[in-house]
Amino acid sequence: MTRSNRPISASAGLDRAFVVRWIEAAASSIHEQRDHLTQLDAAIGDADHGINLDRGFEAGLARVRDSDALPPGRLLQLVGETLILSVGGAAGPLYGSCLREVGRSLGEDEAFDAEALLVALRAGLQEIVRLGAAAEGDKTIVDAYAPALSAMERALRAGRGAAAFTNAREAAEAGMRATIPLVAHRGRASYLGPRSAGHQDPGATSTALLFGALEAAVRPAAERSA
Amino acid sequence: MIRSVVRAGQILKELGSGAPRLGVTELSERLAMPKATVYGLLRALEQEDLVERDAETGKYRLGPAVVQLGNAYLDGNELRARSLLWADSLAARVVEAVRVGVLVGANVVVVHHVFRPDDSVQMLEVGAAIPWHASALGKAIVAHLDPADRAALLEGGLPTLTGWTIVEPERLAASLAQVGRVGFAVEDQEAVVGEAEIAAAVFGREGVVGAIGVAGPAERLIGEGPHSDVLAAVREIARRVSKDMGARASAVPHRH
Repeated sequence: MTRSNRPISASAGLDRAFVVRWIEAAASSIHEQRDHLTQLDAAIGDADHGINLDRGFEAGLARVRDSDALPPGRLLQLVGETLILSVGGAAGPLYGSCLREVGRSLGEDEAFDAEALLVALRAGLQEIVRLGAAAEGDKTIVDAYAPALSAMERALRAGRGAAAFTNAREAAEAGMRATIPLVAHRGRASYLGPRSAGHQDPGATSTALLFGALEAAVRPAAERSA
Repeated sequence: MIRSVVRAGQILKELGSGAPRLGVTELSERLAMPKATVYGLLRALEQEDLVERDAETGKYRLGPAVVQLGNAYLDGNELRARSLLWADSLAARVVEAVRVGVLVGANVVVVHHVFRPDDSVQMLEVGAAIPWHASALGKAIVAHLDPADRAALLEGGLPTLTGWTIVEPERLAASLAQVGRVGFAVEDQEAVVGEAEIAAAVFGREGVVGAIGVAGPAERLIGEGPHSDVLAAVREIARRVSKDMGARASAVPHRH
């Protein structure tokens, strides 16, 4: 068994360091994929998704590094509020409010398990659905986010905690690719009507990156606890 | 014979609204028309370049003549023609995007769009159809319609586009009454999260003909309330376009 395949227990302590690694990994993959996200957005939006998110996560990461004393939930609220304040377009309010809800759901605890994270991520999705009034199939963030949570929940229920984060990332990526043929029903892309079909949704793409970052963040935690 | 014109119109709209490529059988099923009729109409439309047949799949899609018709429609739109220069000057003055729209059914169709003059990449929104109640342009227009027309729109479908979209007829009616009093309409993230618009109606000889508005990020345009410079500029430009459209001075709401 390779190091990266070592099992992760669903009850493994997820803590402040885990949240810091998540935000670091998210900031770095968004930075790497910035131009790709912007290109996707140029086809069906204002070509600012990559630039906006890169700036927002960089600012969020700076706040995280300045706040050693905060519990993980509060840290995520801080990142969320930073995104709301520093990111234009739809991405700032949507991802910012989402992370703020995830953080609120985690509360003041110093550590939490994968079940608590699933509940928190679900609260974040509900906030996005509330603000954006989007359902699955509308060609939005929701198309990657919702299947990721379903996959994560299935793995946890089946006692396959080790696979939960990988399954979530894979489902997010599958959902992301499945947005290509869809006609957008939400956001500026919906102004294009049928012309929005044939393009991958930038929001679903950045959501897949965030679930990829979550998967990356959980690995070292498991190795430490093993 | 006239029925075939209606049917040809239905085929064009179907090709322009759902799947971009459709076969004879699919069209015949979707439109409940005999296959032979669909085939005959497609052949005629193809001859006029209104549809074209994909050589590989044998399916049909809209043809190049449609673009010419669309452009001819825009060129023939008097409001668009008369607002071109005013829209440019409004965009330059407030450094935001400007949109001009007309009401088509229950949607506002954008007939002119000036990009925010800041060199950023932006998506051309000409031709976009936005449900009237989720648009400042739409609210500005509908507030000045005849009461019967306004009531019909309020009772029609009011789809939810974001968590901010106002879909309760009573609340919308109250906001339209307000638009009528103050002479401008505001939309705050009701169509697209993060986006807002401030618009005023444009009048012609026979009443309201459309609207012109400034669109941009909600935090810049709205914040604690509609940006006052933008508001003043929108109302002034709407009055000037109205004057060019032949509106009598008494028909145009004055500044309060």
